[in-house]
Amino acid sequence: MAPILEVTNLHKHFGGIHVARHLNFTMEQGEQSAIIGPNGAGKSTLMNLLTGYHRCDAGKVVFEGLEITNRPPHQIARLGISRAFQVSSIFTKMSVAENVRAAVHAQMRQSFNILGAANRVGVGETDRVLALCGLDGKRKLVAGVLAQGDKKRLELAIALAGRPRLLFLDEPTAGMSIDEARGTMELVDRLNRELALTVLFTEHDMGIVFNHARKLTLMHRGEIVVQGTPEEVRANETAQKVYLGEHSV
Amino acid sequence: MSWWSRLYARHGLSGPVAVALLVFFLLVPLLPGKFWTHVSTEILILGLFAMSFNLLYGYMGQISFGHAAFFGLGAYATAMVFTRLKTAGGEIGMIDFFLSLLAGPPIAALGALIVGFFCVRLTGIYFAMLSLAFGELLYYIVFSWYSFTKGDDGIQGLLPPQFFQDPVHYYYLTLAIVIAALIVMWRITESPFGYIMRTLRDNQRRAAFLGINVRLHMLVNFVIAGAFAGLAGALWGPFSRSVSPTLLGWQESGIAVFMTLIGGAGSLMGPLLGSVIYTCLQAVVTMFTSYWPLAIGTVILLIVLFAPGGVLGLVEKRIKARHGAAAAAEFAAEIEAADGET
Repeated sequence: MAPILEVTNLHKHFGGIHVARHLNFTMEQGEQSAIIGPNGAGKSTLMNLLTGYHRCDAGKVVFEGLEITNRPPHQIARLGISRAFQVSSIFTKMSVAENVRAAVHAQMRQSFNILGAANRVGVGETDRVLALCGLDGKRKLVAGVLAQGDKKRLELAIALAGRPRLLFLDEPTAGMSIDEARGTMELVDRLNRELALTVLFTEHDMGIVFNHARKLTLMHRGEIVVQGTPEEVRANETAQKVYLGEHSV
Repeated sequence: MSWWSRLYARHGLSGPVAVALLVFFLLVPLLPGKFWTHVSTEILILGLFAMSFNLLYGYMGQISFGHAAFFGLGAYATAMVFTRLKTAGGEIGMIDFFLSLLAGPPIAALGALIVGFFCVRLTGIYFAMLSLAFGELLYYIVFSWYSFTKGDDGIQGLLPPQFFQDPVHYYYLTLAIVIAALIVMWRITESPFGYIMRTLRDNQRRAAFLGINVRLHMLVNFVIAGAFAGLAGALWGPFSRSVSPTLLGWQESGIAVFMTLIGGAGSLMGPLLGSVIYTCLQAVVTMFTSYWPLAIGTVILLIVLFAPGGVLGLVEKRIKARHGAAAAAEFAAEIEAADGET
């Protein structure tokens, strides 16, 4: 079976700083993997390149057999790739339900529906996503006043409302309490297991990484240092040296 | 729960304000003399213009200082069709009159499509400056192209049919058209498209990652706003009996900005309420002094300093504070009752 995502020789530099150096990797359908690495390793930049936020200088990105290199973000999103940001990126003046509803409308290609009633379009899907992310009880709250953990969950809800086939999560548990982080990652696991959703996430909490990722990619200074199963990466000497530390063995 | 409260719960402040303004506008012609009917016609036309501006500012989050260009284009399109359809005696038939009114919105929308194509590539201050530049460009074209637009003389003699020469009749015609436009605008702002506009106001980057073509949606909204501004302009010519290049100028754009700031950009009815306050204030102040700019400057200063959400924003804040206090009191009573039981 062909990989769902194929990244070949991806390269990006800002001035003299090379933030992604000839990256190569693939993801299989239904895979749940993580990118790890110290701050500045290029993890978020890689997500920005894959989702069209930054333009690649060289290389190729293929999603489900279709080349998507340097396509604008909205086109990539429509193909079935969704993402959640490291710093929660939500619609702060709208209510929680309106945030999700707008995402549902976009997914349903209703964004040019000018005379229909917004609160009657995509109601079922909005309710489903809110319930899935545990936000049903907060649907009427203005998103900007939510606690940080709830904002991250809303961010995830918005990403899921697009019914993606490939989901990028940039530090999905940042700012969450231990319980919230566990709940969020259990939800991601469930989506991956039940819907065969392919997930790629970045994370600094190694407990979360080793418990929830089946494949790891370690980046350092824009390069992929090592790729493999959690056990392989944990045992790798370079990985220990640049990021994990020798005590992790 | 009273019908008033139900209206508020369902539509926010726009619901009760719309009902109050409707009653106000229906009763205006009963006032003695024609002065307030004339002022109210101006309120409605400029209110429609300000509401069209608010589709860009309040719902899409971009401020345009050149929106009057579309108001002026609508006014000129109507005036030009009007002058070609009227008889040698200067009169115009009822059907021809309505045809001339219909010319305004599409021409303004076409202008908005061309200007918007460039403006939606930018946001924030750059969007504002480019819209201002286009507005002044169109103003200068209209001002200079004498053979086509009559230059700074403007187009005079736009006398509506006999029936609508009565200020009360023209007022009710304006009221009917503005209500119809308002209903359409309300449907747009409450539609999926309207909510996508709100996402663009709050966070354009996030909206793009939902699959929204940001520029295309902004352009569509720009054209819709331009069409409504053109409709307001179309009503203006026969009302004032003439059109002139100043209708396209930055000062006219400033009026829409002022009205929206005064009434409140956060709701559909805010700019119309702003138009009521602005136009009435202007009518009253200019009765006593020629220092109108000083008066409106002071009002804007007070609004910006003490009510940044406009009058409606201030009222909304008060209502929420009262509801918050009531909820807190209820909560305290529950705790007290629970303490009593233990």
